[in-house]
Amino acid sequence: MIRTSYALNKLLTAVARQHVMKDGLTDDDLAGHDLSDAERAALRAGDITRLYHLGANPYLIRRVFRSRFRI
Amino acid sequence: MAEIVAALMTSHAPLMTGRPEVSKPEQRDRLYGGFHELRRRLTAARPDLIVVFVNDHIQNFPYSNMPAFCVGLAEAYDAPSPGGGRFMRIPPRKVRGAPAWGMALLERGLAAGVDFAYSYEIEGWDELSVPLHFLTPEGNVPIAPVYTNCAAPPLPTPRRCHEVGAFVGEFIRSRPTRERVALLATGGISHWVGTPETGRINPEFDQRVLDHVVRADIDPLVRLTHDEIERDGGNGGQEIRNWIALLGAVPAWKGEVLAYEPVVEWITGCATVWVHP
Repeated sequence: MIRTSYALNKLLTAVARQHVMKDGLTDDDLAGHDLSDAERAALRAGDITRLYHLGANPYLIRRVFRSRFRI
Repeated sequence: MAEIVAALMTSHAPLMTGRPEVSKPEQRDRLYGGFHELRRRLTAARPDLIVVFVNDHIQNFPYSNMPAFCVGLAEAYDAPSPGGGRFMRIPPRKVRGAPAWGMALLERGLAAGVDFAYSYEIEGWDELSVPLHFLTPEGNVPIAPVYTNCAAPPLPTPRRCHEVGAFVGEFIRSRPTRERVALLATGGISHWVGTPETGRINPEFDQRVLDHVVRADIDPLVRLTHDEIERDGGNGGQEIRNWIALLGAVPAWKGEVLAYEPVVEWITGCATVWVHP
């Protein structure tokens, strides 16, 4: 079973389309999105591993949080 | 009758052109050499049209509307856009599309039970822009992209991709026109992008895929499962669906690997392959 969070991917798509890279998202970024507490915490922290396990698409994780990757 | 005059497969990665200086010169030279040889052969084949088996990276198709297979009907494709061009360090340009050809494929597919989606507006990123930059820098051959979802699971099976590719090949050969058609597939081979293993490359998997391609040994490729590809080839490895679709269009054609380099700095197992009748 593929684990996908539509809420995460919808938000990450919206941020990615702004073409700005983030270390972590702010409350403003998250406003209006129906996210779980775990998703909010991972987005605020820019926790790329946690986001992956929560069902965020890795291409979107990389686009938004590029600065969090070592390579 | 229309005919398939060339078939080629390459990896794609934005860093191939965006950050050439970070790669090892000998690896870069061998890979660029493979692209240059592909370009020479493609030019000699004098195609009227390039059908591109390719995938989106969620820049065009969002999670609110995700096609498994999609025919491009655009008049022209950003390959790349001005913004993409800065990132990939290649000149922005519009590459002419082939919407009438795409519409004919779409209609034939829907009539035959191959339920393509379609799109009139598509922005090309590295999946189109980087290979076309090397292969048709003049940009004078129109392209007809056929998109397969390789990036937003669940994905169509490799077997289905092979069937869809076979359908495209039959469609081309059945055309009453005198078109000379080249096939290009881009993507793969192994790479992990945005996952906890980002940066990993698996040359053993890449070699296995290439060995099958060289022998036209399609069965092991179409039998691959999503989980096997994810484990051995990474999420980027899922893009070999584009290669499998192309191989479906040219049954029994055999690959010739012009270059293979696991380029750590570009986080991709990179290959250039010519496919012979």
